[in-house]
Amino acid sequence: MTRRIVIIFAVLLCVAVGLGIYAWHLRRKVTAEEQRLNQQAQTEAPPANGPTSTITLYLASDANATLYRKQITIPLPAERSEQARAVLRALFGTYLQSGSPHPIGAGADIREVYLLNDGSAVVDTNQTFADTHPSGVLAEELTVASMVATINANDAHIGQVKIIVNGNERETLAGHADLRRFYPAANMVQLAKELQ
Amino acid sequence: MLSGRNRPLTYATAFLVVAGFSFLLLARYRAVVHAQLPAPKELAVFSPQATYTIPLLETNGRMYVGLVDLLEPLGSLESMPRGKKLKLRFNPAGGRPLELELQDGKDTGKVHGEKLKLPANFVLQNGRGYVPLSLVPDLLPRLGLQPIEYHAASQRLFVGNVVERYSAELKKGNPSRLLLGFSTPVNPTVATEPGKVRLTFRRDPVVAATDRVHYDDPLITGTAYSEHDGIAELEITGSAPLMANFADGGKTIIVTAAPGPPTTQQVQQIPVPIPQTAASLPSPVPRPPRPSFLVIIDPAHGGTDIGAAITPRLPEKDVVLALARRVQHELSARGIASSLLRNGDYAIGLDQRATSINAARPALYIALHAANTGKGVHVFTALLPTENTAPDSFLSWDSAQAAFADLSGSVAGSIAAELENRKLPNATLPAPLRPVNNVAAPAVAVEIAPPGQDTDEIASAPYQALIAQSIAAGVAAVRGKLPEVHP
Repeated sequence: MTRRIVIIFAVLLCVAVGLGIYAWHLRRKVTAEEQRLNQQAQTEAPPANGPTSTITLYLASDANATLYRKQITIPLPAERSEQARAVLRALFGTYLQSGSPHPIGAGADIREVYLLNDGSAVVDTNQTFADTHPSGVLAEELTVASMVATINANDAHIGQVKIIVNGNERETLAGHADLRRFYPAANMVQLAKELQ
Repeated sequence: MLSGRNRPLTYATAFLVVAGFSFLLLARYRAVVHAQLPAPKELAVFSPQATYTIPLLETNGRMYVGLVDLLEPLGSLESMPRGKKLKLRFNPAGGRPLELELQDGKDTGKVHGEKLKLPANFVLQNGRGYVPLSLVPDLLPRLGLQPIEYHAASQRLFVGNVVERYSAELKKGNPSRLLLGFSTPVNPTVATEPGKVRLTFRRDPVVAATDRVHYDDPLITGTAYSEHDGIAELEITGSAPLMANFADGGKTIIVTAAPGPPTTQQVQQIPVPIPQTAASLPSPVPRPPRPSFLVIIDPAHGGTDIGAAITPRLPEKDVVLALARRVQHELSARGIASSLLRNGDYAIGLDQRATSINAARPALYIALHAANTGKGVHVFTALLPTENTAPDSFLSWDSAQAAFADLSGSVAGSIAAELENRKLPNATLPAPLRPVNNVAAPAVAVEIAPPGQDTDEIASAPYQALIAQSIAAGVAAVRGKLPEVHP
């Protein structure tokens, strides 16, 4: 009986060690995949399909706490929520360039934009965007204001915007800007004007 | 091999043995872990500038104290870690600047060029210097801070002439009264139970001349004074239920017979410094007078929430705590009462912050932040949709600040004007920031950034002093416009 228990214990121990090695292997695989996706997102350009259109971006500058308007031409998809996503990805693309006056973390991306019937938009950003965003009241406010003003400048029907992270509500962007609320576009456009 | 009949039973037995063994290992591990976790220890410091507590670090069986935590509230301090060496430039309030040089792993150092012998090696961790706790009573006088009185057993440190030795006088009569006299107003926690009143002094530098006093009185039979864990306790015992009353603006506490015998044990608390639960507690003990114009200063973040990493070794939580103490000092110099929402390194949630602030009913709330984005100082008010709500009506939690937008704007403008007077780059903006949105009082947030290219300058004493003066002067300038809050 004792010998059997020892054998079974040894077998169970071997299984546990084997599972541990397998879990470690999976973790490495997931990490490598995340890195690959991040690198892909970093270099990813706005979608190339669809006719090109001129869009307006509200770009932030940390040094002098301003937002300024800039028009660029990008290919735009036909569907409204895809358009909003393309516009915000173009905004992020500008911030991700080296030497950006308002840098955000490498790999930051827009996962989806959901448009509701009441004129609300819910912008789903990836986890990297929030986790790597520079922390500070001003830095976070400029990001939120530029996102809301930009999305409204290119689709006037969007009256308020909420930002979520990886499909979930988050208390603050990086410790400061409140992400639990909808931002009225009118408020942020007014703020953008004050900051120009 | 196992027979078919016995196999399930054997497997079950084996599983139970393995599970039991694992459980025992886990229980033992937990017991070891818990045994190794000591209760957090703190040093309570009482000084004319501030009353504060500092977490103690246990290393190699000795208690160590952080030099920056200890000295920062007592004067201007610049900390310059370089490799294994730490150089501190300390300027005590009203004194001459002195330099302290120490090296990690060495038990000698220099104070203004003169040798300093430490009872154990100096420790430098993540740019923060720690000295043995037992060195503190010898070190502070050499840094121009005296007299020093240190109660080692209770870890209470008195810097300067702050020790409050109270007088106790028994007035015999029917009923008898014990009069406890203090030279300045005190604010102890009061707990009563049949035949006892216990006064607990956490923030008052109270010390007794005698530990035990016996009274030959039919009502009040004696007092017992004790100190532990940074606090002082005075227990008054009697032959009947007792109660405590404050008089003379908090300078006198009168202990006498309670009006009627309580049926069950009663405990009343007077919370300090922020009366979070005061409104809900019926208390027969008159509370010491609270200033009708109280400013709550909130150094953001704390504990595991470090805020922005200004540099790899300089977290936002430390920068704003130092600034908050300076602002409190400057407000005090202008005769304005203030309280720090966080006066140590611990985490407070946003909702918890808002609840504490609103319970304290301040005349003004100032949140302090720091970042390495931008330049100079940004003064923020809440970014909320305009609401025509009267401050005394029912306020929505998420937008309580909207009712105070005009007053908050006045404060922000006044602080910005003072920053301008001191030639500090500044801007005033609305921002979507909690807990400012939830505060039912005039409220602003101030975020400081480095004045130039050198990020470390954000923690420099002259720069922070200028900002603190601007904030305090800005508040003083609009004080007349802000309504006082009578509790």
